[in-house]
Amino acid sequence: MKNQTKKFYDWVDSRVQLGDLVAFMSKKYVPVHSRSIWYYFGGVSLFFFIIQVVTGILLLFYYKGSSDLAYESIRFIMSKVQFGWLIRSMHSWSANLFILSVFIHMFSVYFEKSYRKPREMTWISGMFMFVLALAFGFSGYLLPWNELAYFATKVGTDIVGAVPVVGEPLKYFLRGGDDVTGATLSRFFGFHVALFPGIFTFLLMLHLLLVQRQGMSEPMHLKIIAKAEKKTMPFFPNFMLRDLLLWLIVLNVLAILAVFFPAELGLKADPLASAPAGIQPEWYFLFMFQTLKFLPAHVWFIEGEVLGILLFGLAGLLWLLVPVWDRKSSRGQQNRWINYIGIFSVLFIIILTIIGWVLK
Amino acid sequence: MDQIGSNKPEKKDRRDFLKFLLSLGLTGFGVATIYPVISFLKPPKQAEVEVNSVVAGKLDDIKTGESKIIRFGNKPVIIIHTEDDKFRALSATCTHLDCTVQYKKDEKIIWCACHNGKYDLYGKNISGPPPRPLDKFKVVIKNDELIVSKEA
Amino acid sequence: MGIKMKLIPGFKLIISVLTLILVQYSYASEDQCFNCHRDLEDNPSKLFVEDVHYKVGLSCSSCHGGNSNSDDMELAMNKSAGFIGVPSLNKISEACSKCHSDAVFMKKYNKNILTGQFEKLKTSVHGKLSVNGRGMMLQCTTCHNAHGIKKVTDSRSPVYPTNVPATCNKCHGDASFMQSYNPSLSVDQLTKYRTSVHGILNAKGNTKTAECASCHGSHDIFSAKDVRSKVYKLNIPNTCSQCHSNKDYMKDFPIPTDQFEKYQKSVHGVAVFEKQDLSAPVCNDCHGNHAATPPGIESISKVCGSCHALNAELFSASPHKKAFDEKKYPECETCHGNHEILIAKDKLIGVEEGAICLKCHAEDKNQKGYRVAKIMRSQIDSLMSLDIVAKNLIFQAEQKGMDVEEIKFKLREIHQARLETRTIVHSFNEAKFKEVTNKGFKASEMAITEAKASIDEFYFRRYGLVVALALITFLIVIIFLYIRKIEKTKSV
Repeated sequence: MKNQTKKFYDWVDSRVQLGDLVAFMSKKYVPVHSRSIWYYFGGVSLFFFIIQVVTGILLLFYYKGSSDLAYESIRFIMSKVQFGWLIRSMHSWSANLFILSVFIHMFSVYFEKSYRKPREMTWISGMFMFVLALAFGFSGYLLPWNELAYFATKVGTDIVGAVPVVGEPLKYFLRGGDDVTGATLSRFFGFHVALFPGIFTFLLMLHLLLVQRQGMSEPMHLKIIAKAEKKTMPFFPNFMLRDLLLWLIVLNVLAILAVFFPAELGLKADPLASAPAGIQPEWYFLFMFQTLKFLPAHVWFIEGEVLGILLFGLAGLLWLLVPVWDRKSSRGQQNRWINYIGIFSVLFIIILTIIGWVLK
Repeated sequence: MDQIGSNKPEKKDRRDFLKFLLSLGLTGFGVATIYPVISFLKPPKQAEVEVNSVVAGKLDDIKTGESKIIRFGNKPVIIIHTEDDKFRALSATCTHLDCTVQYKKDEKIIWCACHNGKYDLYGKNISGPPPRPLDKFKVVIKNDELIVSKEA
Repeated sequence: MGIKMKLIPGFKLIISVLTLILVQYSYASEDQCFNCHRDLEDNPSKLFVEDVHYKVGLSCSSCHGGNSNSDDMELAMNKSAGFIGVPSLNKISEACSKCHSDAVFMKKYNKNILTGQFEKLKTSVHGKLSVNGRGMMLQCTTCHNAHGIKKVTDSRSPVYPTNVPATCNKCHGDASFMQSYNPSLSVDQLTKYRTSVHGILNAKGNTKTAECASCHGSHDIFSAKDVRSKVYKLNIPNTCSQCHSNKDYMKDFPIPTDQFEKYQKSVHGVAVFEKQDLSAPVCNDCHGNHAATPPGIESISKVCGSCHALNAELFSASPHKKAFDEKKYPECETCHGNHEILIAKDKLIGVEEGAICLKCHAEDKNQKGYRVAKIMRSQIDSLMSLDIVAKNLIFQAEQKGMDVEEIKFKLREIHQARLETRTIVHSFNEAKFKEVTNKGFKASEMAITEAKASIDEFYFRRYGLVVALALITFLIVIIFLYIRKIEKTKSV
């Protein structure tokens, strides 16, 4: 048996030089220090993405993306298909945890200033993936075609429509018409299972390639320590096994959540019904939603909502381009302002999310 | 078991034992994940979700002058094969107090046993307590199969 | 000054009396139209002597126009003097309404007189165009006559209560005439009416009993399908109660006056007044309309059975039919009452307190019925508790997040069986009753089994989770040990 495996390995190795890869991976070292824990969130996010792909593909076996069958097909998955409830609940929970872990991953990278030269491309590809993750969430939320999703999508696309100049055509494009209808469902389905995964996979490959190529970023304060004194750990197998360990723990948590808090289905969307009370977007959009609600109807000469959207757009753009304008960090100098901005952003997001949650 | 007890080649044995446990664990993990996935992929008894239209059976299933009650979502629908060789599908829930109606061949009416409500074969309430006609469904014949669907 | 003040009122009175006599006399003698036509001895002038309008001093010209002061025909009946000749179609009613729609003018004759009859007539069903298409179906004169118009209190008036039925019947009893307006309307209302209590008393000259106008209205008559009609289904109880709930009015008649009050509380009254349910019966659905009379003892089940057909049919075939007839018990009414019929509750049957069966059946009297009633009641009770058990289990399963849509489908059958027991109970037959309850028992058994299975499935998920967690945790521990192992080896 062992011989057989060895033979097969040799067979492949002689053709694609697997040895090089193993050598590369085992020579790669991961720095060990007090903040090593944050390294794991990239991996955890990756794991959630893998779960999303696997459960998503499984759901595709039974899901039907049309307004008259979407709701019923999910009800079918939940009640008729064996373990259908589990797969859907996992997909739904993993989606939420994916976004949470991506948030953590992003902020840890930000506070460590790991985006500094030479890792600007990694940061930017990561940011694009972050936006895509939110888009995944937004498009996936509509797919069960239930009441809550229907109205949340209506509100969400309305907000898009408030963007100056491009808003209206964009809203029309997203909705596939004037209103949220079966046409919207069809295109959201398309986005969710074909377009976004395609782009995301490409970005993910790039992202991982860059990480492998450049290795893990070290915190800036470790620079002063002599190379010999630095503690490291081989990427393979030590770090990878730890990754695996964490993934399994996460899988356990996911299974518990899926069993004890299964995904709900609610009532089927009825375009003619009046909106139910307490329409809210998913939690990760809540801070933006709540901010827009708090803004006065008119600020100076501009509409409050439009102003809010523009400000969020601007903030997002600055966030995306942080490696470009934060020259100090790239030069290896301390940049306190980055920390202040980061702390403000974290507090802003947490507080407004809580307010939005409480005011429900 | 013996290997653990022996003390000489302890290290190597322990390592091998750990490897054995690892493969055992991996197998267990595989079972725990593959089993739900395989079960999920196994086609369920009811082949697919059918709500907007339901295959009510073969044409010959309902003889002329006979009727059949089928499940449409969670509501019953009555299909009647009329004497003039037409198919009609109507909601089988009496509009009076939600009993299930039946076709009375001798009187050529749809009849509710609970309070003697009567409907004609177009679903119109003609006698007894029903306040409203029965909802209509559409019947289409495709490849010798009766397909009942909601009226647009 | 003082004397003059006293004198003046007396003087005024004398003057006014004198003027009145003078005017009256001069009208009678100076109305040249009437003078001439009386000499001609034509019909209108003969009738007009008896006319209420003649008596208050109105002249021919009041309606026909022209100059009544002139005895020259050319001048008197000249169009320039406003002469309109014999008015036709709507011109007739317009001529009447000149005065009768003028409240101020009419008050001079009688301060209680009503005005606006023409406006009402125009909107009524009789105000629609007649077959000739040129005027209303009815003009004032159709019912009130033309030249011999009497007060409504005058027994010679065609609209005097005892004359109304014949007046209406002139058209409504004429099949070929009614054919041209409403072919589906029957023309036997008068015949039916004469068989009713109202009709019989009316024929005897009683003016208090209802005649056509009492229920249908006079000038404002609408089709019974019109919601404005006094005989529109939902308005009937109020229409009847106008007389039947009026104690003063009804004091000459030896019948109670609380029917409306009772009816309002009944299941039928609630359906009519609160739910606006047009299929629920109002007064005339049981008593008849034109032939209104209380249903006879043996025919009650037929009357109730026109809606509650199954119950009536079952009852008629049951052993109770014969027993009730022999003892002269009114059929449905004995158990359910008449005007105040409440929703039949399960407690009506059985041998416990509140059960109606006990009226005749007891452990030592009519025992068979006592035994059957006891069985039926216990079956109803167990069906009800099974229904509750099933619903509870389904609720529990639903609370646990299980999909129970399909089991809920089974609940329909239990519901149906429970409803059917309410009907089949009227067969008073144990075997037939059990047939129905067994259906319900079977359905509830299935529902309960499936709901339990669904709850089991919930726990299966938990156990499954435990197994999966155990397997994954095992792997976690092993990997943990493995990591420790390789790192130890390295450091060594």
